[in-house]
Amino acid sequence: MQGNEKLERFLERYPHRHRLFFERPHVTRRQFFTLAGAGVTGSFLARRAAAGEVVHQVPVTMQNKAHNVIFILLAGAASHVDTFDFKMVEGATPSSFNPAKVSGLDWPTGLLPKLAQNLPDMAIVRSMRSWALQHGLAQVWAQIGRSPAGALGDIAPNIGSVVAIEKERERQSSQVFPTFLALNSGGAIGSGYLSAAYAPMKINPATSGLPDTINVDGAARFESKWSLLNALDAPLRVNSPIGADTEDYDGFYKSAKGLMYNPVVDQAFRYTTAESQRYGNTGFGNACVVAQKVLAANQGTRFVQITIGGWDHHQNIYDANGLPRLARQLDDGLSTMLTDLKANGLLNETLVVMMGEFGRTVGRLSAQNGRDHFLQQFVVFAGGGVRGGRAIGSTNATGAATAEFGWSRDRDVRPEDVEATIYSALGINWTTVRYDDPFGRGFEYVPYANQDVYGPINELWA
Amino acid sequence: MNNNIVRVALFLSVAVLAGSGFLLTWAQEPPPAEPAEELKEELKVDHSDCDFFGPQRHKYTAAEWRDRFRWSVLTEEVTRQLPPVDPPAEGIVPGGSRTNSFQQLGELGTIDRHLLEAMRAAGVAPAERTGDFEFIRRVTLDLTGRLPLGERVQQFVADVRPDKRARLVEELLQKPEWVDKWTMFFGDLLKNTANTSQVARYAQGRDAFYRWMRDSLAANKRYDRMVTELITATGTNSYEQGELNWLVGGRVTGGPNQDIFDQQAANVAETFLGVSHMNCILCHDGRRHLDTLSLWGKGATRMESWQLSAFLSRTSERRIAVGTMPQPYYWTVEDNTQFRTDYALNTTTGNRPPRAAVGTIRNVAPAYPFSGGRPTAGENYRAVLAREVTGDLQFARATVNYLWKEFFTKALVEPVNQFDLARLDPDNPPPEPWTLQASHPRLLNELAREFAQGGFDLKALMRQMVNSDAYQLSSRYNGAWNLSWERLFARKLVRRLWAEEIHDAVVSSSGIPASYPIPNFATVGWAMQVPEPRGLPRGDIASFLDSFMRGNREDEERRSEGSAAQALNLMNDGFVMTRTRSSGSGATASLVRRVLDYTDEQLVQALFLAVLSRYPNEAEKAVAYANLRSGNRQQKAEDLLWSLYNKVDFLFNY
Repeated sequence: MQGNEKLERFLERYPHRHRLFFERPHVTRRQFFTLAGAGVTGSFLARRAAAGEVVHQVPVTMQNKAHNVIFILLAGAASHVDTFDFKMVEGATPSSFNPAKVSGLDWPTGLLPKLAQNLPDMAIVRSMRSWALQHGLAQVWAQIGRSPAGALGDIAPNIGSVVAIEKERERQSSQVFPTFLALNSGGAIGSGYLSAAYAPMKINPATSGLPDTINVDGAARFESKWSLLNALDAPLRVNSPIGADTEDYDGFYKSAKGLMYNPVVDQAFRYTTAESQRYGNTGFGNACVVAQKVLAANQGTRFVQITIGGWDHHQNIYDANGLPRLARQLDDGLSTMLTDLKANGLLNETLVVMMGEFGRTVGRLSAQNGRDHFLQQFVVFAGGGVRGGRAIGSTNATGAATAEFGWSRDRDVRPEDVEATIYSALGINWTTVRYDDPFGRGFEYVPYANQDVYGPINELWA
Repeated sequence: MNNNIVRVALFLSVAVLAGSGFLLTWAQEPPPAEPAEELKEELKVDHSDCDFFGPQRHKYTAAEWRDRFRWSVLTEEVTRQLPPVDPPAEGIVPGGSRTNSFQQLGELGTIDRHLLEAMRAAGVAPAERTGDFEFIRRVTLDLTGRLPLGERVQQFVADVRPDKRARLVEELLQKPEWVDKWTMFFGDLLKNTANTSQVARYAQGRDAFYRWMRDSLAANKRYDRMVTELITATGTNSYEQGELNWLVGGRVTGGPNQDIFDQQAANVAETFLGVSHMNCILCHDGRRHLDTLSLWGKGATRMESWQLSAFLSRTSERRIAVGTMPQPYYWTVEDNTQFRTDYALNTTTGNRPPRAAVGTIRNVAPAYPFSGGRPTAGENYRAVLAREVTGDLQFARATVNYLWKEFFTKALVEPVNQFDLARLDPDNPPPEPWTLQASHPRLLNELAREFAQGGFDLKALMRQMVNSDAYQLSSRYNGAWNLSWERLFARKLVRRLWAEEIHDAVVSSSGIPASYPIPNFATVGWAMQVPEPRGLPRGDIASFLDSFMRGNREDEERRSEGSAAQALNLMNDGFVMTRTRSSGSGATASLVRRVLDYTDEQLVQALFLAVLSRYPNEAEKAVAYANLRSGNRQQKAEDLLWSLYNKVDFLFNY
């Protein structure tokens, strides 16, 4: 447990106490250097004094193999020992789960039959551990890749928003989709302190596609209306030295216009009942259909978040209406999506990441025939050049704790590491610190990354 | 003790304290010592959702930081380029002094005295007084959620009486629309819904609750009376006795009855005292959890929270089926029937950590944690709780703070439900490095005392706020503006209108009414009259309203963020498009149809007056006239109205 102790000692030595802004004492240069240690030079501080977007990075080697990311949040926390870290429990596991060895892994072929076919593309990290057992806290933690209770946790953007701002310069003027799309994710964390332009566009997929993308008076008349509106309202929408919020509405209107009268929108956001059926005819399935079509459209979307909730099985987990029902939805939707992405050549450049906010209790069921919150969990990676068909790390016989870490840092994988992995896969330097946050204190993409405390799981590509 | 448990607990404790952020030690404190054995067990908990860290954490945190940064920027942008208001046609005198009214003679009210002093101390000049066009639009929206009618705007501006603003305020406070808006506000605060993931009130219960709120506000019932009725509600039918539904909403499943008492107590603390941290304390002592979040919280103990929860420990709710289960059911709320002993410390499962006897205490007797007040023999527990809560200055403070936010855009304590009780008294400031929590602690306390002593009169409080000079400052600022002056309220901070306000503004200005049948409730013509936001009104209009983030009173709160979806809706949704029509069966009474007979000048002026509550300036007139004359005049008039609905100064209250 060497790696875990090392992390623990580091965090004990540099605890980050949550203090309100006006209570924070100022930090002297000496303190700063003591902490930052090697690699921080005077020139870094000098750069900090400059206006505009100032960043600091440590040179690192990024995987840079993925163009897109699909991030699936299993909200409610899926049971790891019943799914992706399957453990047979005598007298508890239903025989209908039909465990078997697939690609060398124990797999509940009765519960997740279709995904068994996709295992060669999936790498399952089993040595992951959450930091906390509260749904809200941990779900936010997973989306922002840091503690929401930490100082900058309050204003931290979603991982997708960081991707959006990093990939902004790669957008082409002809592209009209938002860089960050959130499907069935009404509660997704937004852009934090970053501009609302990088916030997720939240859509609940429907067969009719995006609503209100044509004007009933016709395209030509809409153009003349648009010109009139801009002529009247321009003084309130021009670029200002401060930028931000009114410009936000200007940005929203321009984005909206880009989505109007554009055949690519219907092609990507509409689907037929037949397509929906193939994906299982569920809300999650529909989100998978749209995600795959949106990425195929290549209209600027690079990060898609999908939420499938309801995994919080404290009671009657093995009832038909409990875990099996949700597992079926996941199985139908995810399997078809992975297969379709592979078929149209997108899987190689799309990193699929799937995790819950923590795991569930192991062994026998609770008094209410369920499983309760538990720190040990899994995260699944597929696509983006990841070598699948295996597990990275492993847990002990019950699934309660990590037995083998399976990666170079020799400790449990944390949400911060998952965040670093996503950035690395996309060619984003995860050690970046931005100095455009409202406190001017610096926003780290991955906490302590430039001290090499957290980092990507390179073994995924090995 | 099992090594793994130690490890888990240690990680949890470290994780809660550590988190992320920049690499700085804030103070040269020694690292936390190893927790004692019993604490390690305490830290390994199976929490119910901790609201503080959930997806709506922004309401606790980003409200403080992101918005702090955002509002000033937004205000700056929206207002600094607003066109100056031209003098209108002859014969109408633009009223209202534009001089800085802080120089006016006469006694300053509480609000102005404090804020002026703060501004003087900071060397910051306030913005000018806002003009009459802006004032009538602002105060009508803030008090009643509606646009003023064009004719009313003209009347108001022409009025030469020096007290016309105060008279306008009186008029607005008496309007039925005032009741609609504040019923919606309290519906949000009290989380009135038909169904949540934990409990069902059904539409009938929700509607009864709605009616109780509405009737209370219409009668201008004292707010402490309203809260007393909510806390002490006892009865046999939640479909008929609306106030029963508040306690019903505190029910939780998957645990023992103590979990229900706890949630009800947490709701009391959060909703009426603005202390959401009580919910944390109901699981564990504040020590090692709230140490850097709340000075009061870090010293608070679970036993104290149990003493609060014990006030609910004799209260039970029962379901009575309307037909055969699982048909809808209603609730009874009664005391000392199902539960006749005090809060028992005898649980091992459920939504909160185990409750075990503490020393010889096996049952916790009620005691109001902030005063020590206890029921005497035979006194009804909830009656005592209501008395203690409403008698607590914090109750008045929290209420004043909620309402301050609605009128001044930023509250005096942000976030509004994270009061730190140990940091509110300027005569007893907290020790370093803690600071007083409110941006104007004396103002907040004085307003709270006045509110309490004046009979908890909501209208009087609102009257006090909107009649102040500080409320009537312009959103335009002469000279460079500094972000840090927001705390001083040296200018009006703009706010984007609620979803319902935008909808109702389109309806009222266009002259084409809306009609939404709500089953077994009523057919409503205004979005502000809908009994709850989730799923209502039925049909497409709900998604129009949702795009403006009106929340669902459960896990999504009302937000003022923008999105491309809002733009698509305002530009293309049938709701807006039908109201820009000048022909067709629905359009006979429409605004744009009526103005087609006017001259170009009158037409443009009438549209601006109806939709934006002001006259167009020269630049706008030029654009509008040119456009009107460039094609089919009827269509161009419709297009002009459409443009006004999409203007930034339609969407915002400035």
